Amino acid sequence: MRTVFTFSLMTLRMLFRRRTLWGILLVILLGLGGIASVPTFDVSNQGRFILDFGLFGIEVGALLLALGLAASLYPRDRETKTIMPLLAVPLSRGQYLMGRFFGAALVQAAALLVSCLGLMLILLFNGLPIPGNLLPATLLILVEGWFLLSTVFFFSFFASPPLNWPLTTMLFIVSQMSVAEFIGLMPSSPGLMRTLRLLLPHADVFHIKDPIAHGFEIEPLYFVVAVFYGLCYSAFMLSLALAVFRGRDLK
Amino acid sequence: MNENPPLKVTDLRKDFPGRKGIGTVHAVSQISFEVRPGEIVGFIGHNGAGKTTTIKCALGLLKPSGGRVSLWGLPPASAAARKRIGYVPENPDYERTFTPMEYMTMFASMRGLDGDEKDWTALLERVGLKGWERTAIRQFSKGMQQRMSLALALQSKPELLVMDEPTGGLDPVARKEFRDIILEENRRGAGIFLSSHILSEVETVCHRAVMLSRGMLIAQGSMDELLGSERTFRLTAENDSGDSVELEVPESALQAKIDKAREKGLKITRVEQKMKTLEEVYIAVSGGGKA
Repeated sequence: MRTVFTFSLMTLRMLFRRRTLWGILLVILLGLGGIASVPTFDVSNQGRFILDFGLFGIEVGALLLALGLAASLYPRDRETKTIMPLLAVPLSRGQYLMGRFFGAALVQAAALLVSCLGLMLILLFNGLPIPGNLLPATLLILVEGWFLLSTVFFFSFFASPPLNWPLTTMLFIVSQMSVAEFIGLMPSSPGLMRTLRLLLPHADVFHIKDPIAHGFEIEPLYFVVAVFYGLCYSAFMLSLALAVFRGRDLK
Repeated sequence: MNENPPLKVTDLRKDFPGRKGIGTVHAVSQISFEVRPGEIVGFIGHNGAGKTTTIKCALGLLKPSGGRVSLWGLPPASAAARKRIGYVPENPDYERTFTPMEYMTMFASMRGLDGDEKDWTALLERVGLKGWERTAIRQFSKGMQQRMSLALALQSKPELLVMDEPTGGLDPVARKEFRDIILEENRRGAGIFLSSHILSEVETVCHRAVMLSRGMLIAQGSMDELLGSERTFRLTAENDSGDSVELEVPESALQAKIDKAREKGLKITRVEQKMKTLEEVYIAVSGGGKA
């Protein structure tokens, strides 16, 4: 455990020193700032508008962070051969994957927290109340971000970064679809599509921006189940990633 | 103690897919050798002979297509085996924003080693990185990264040091320093597996050598066995008219040859020991290396 912890910190430190993180964070914050400056012409809806689009922006930020932070981690380690001394001696492949994942997950958490604080400041600046569920909603987006991160890691073991981006984005889009929307992609095989949709991730469970924007209460149990689902799916994707990685030769 | 050897390779075979996935390339085939405790074994071969492939199989970075590799009888991927080895990779590259001290501290923590910055400073000084402990690696030359690599490998006081072309990018002074460290580590009791195509280096420091050519093992043995335990002399003699004759004579027959030449009225003008080099041996057994 100590090995994974140390390697996570090493990854964290490395990612903080790269420009990618700061670039993505800047894009998210500029996006949030942009949302706040768009006039809504309807004062009563302004808070809803900012919350709805703000949380959407944070969610897109989670996807960008997952891709920007993790898509090139393993390919770059292989290309520069920095992976060789790591895997030859102190780390097993499982420890390498977990260390890289936890490091990137912590960076993603910090960046999303900063984005959430940014959204809170925008609400305060506009004299609007901060809903009590805003932080839990960001937490759910973060769990979705971790799921996306594990997906990016999975693809990174057999796809180059330029291919990883469309693959993950495609899965992200599909995971937002309802069963009916998914069957609509191939109406001739509803049974197959229904089964497939059941197996594919359901990222829609992480979206509570609409109820929050409309001021509805969310049951605490819902948060717990959604977080549990997200963590289980992330663990499943990481297990698949490890199975692929273990079979890889490091030339 | 009848312990398994630090490194044992038995009938190792490694195949890679051919170009565009068509066919198979045999990188190494039917290689068997071992590194015994406290021994320095040189691993010789031309570029592309299969040295790095064999080393990566030994470290669990590549999966053998056939045969077996073990470290103290354990599979290379086992944590217990990895704890006992140090590895100096060929052309090492490290995260460029990090400093050697950061690497040393983090590797120590990952390996569960005791030690503090004072110890790592001393180790970095030993490999010639004094004053560079807190400089970002992006400012390092290839040779300096090589030195850092050696420091990381020595950090755990390994029982087996696996070195893949460790002196490739180094200047002659640094090469000498590396050789001295290899010998010091060996005196401490570490086994060394040294891959190199600088044959003079192998000849100087190694007890035994394993030779590869085109993925096949072509010779192995102690330096005496490979270079020949009996010394050879070159004898030059002249007759009365000034014509000279040269003979190569083994040490056991030297005196008899000299006596015979004198009986024939020849004048011995020169007797010199002929040094057989590992390079000559390698070229002879490999049929010229790549060709």
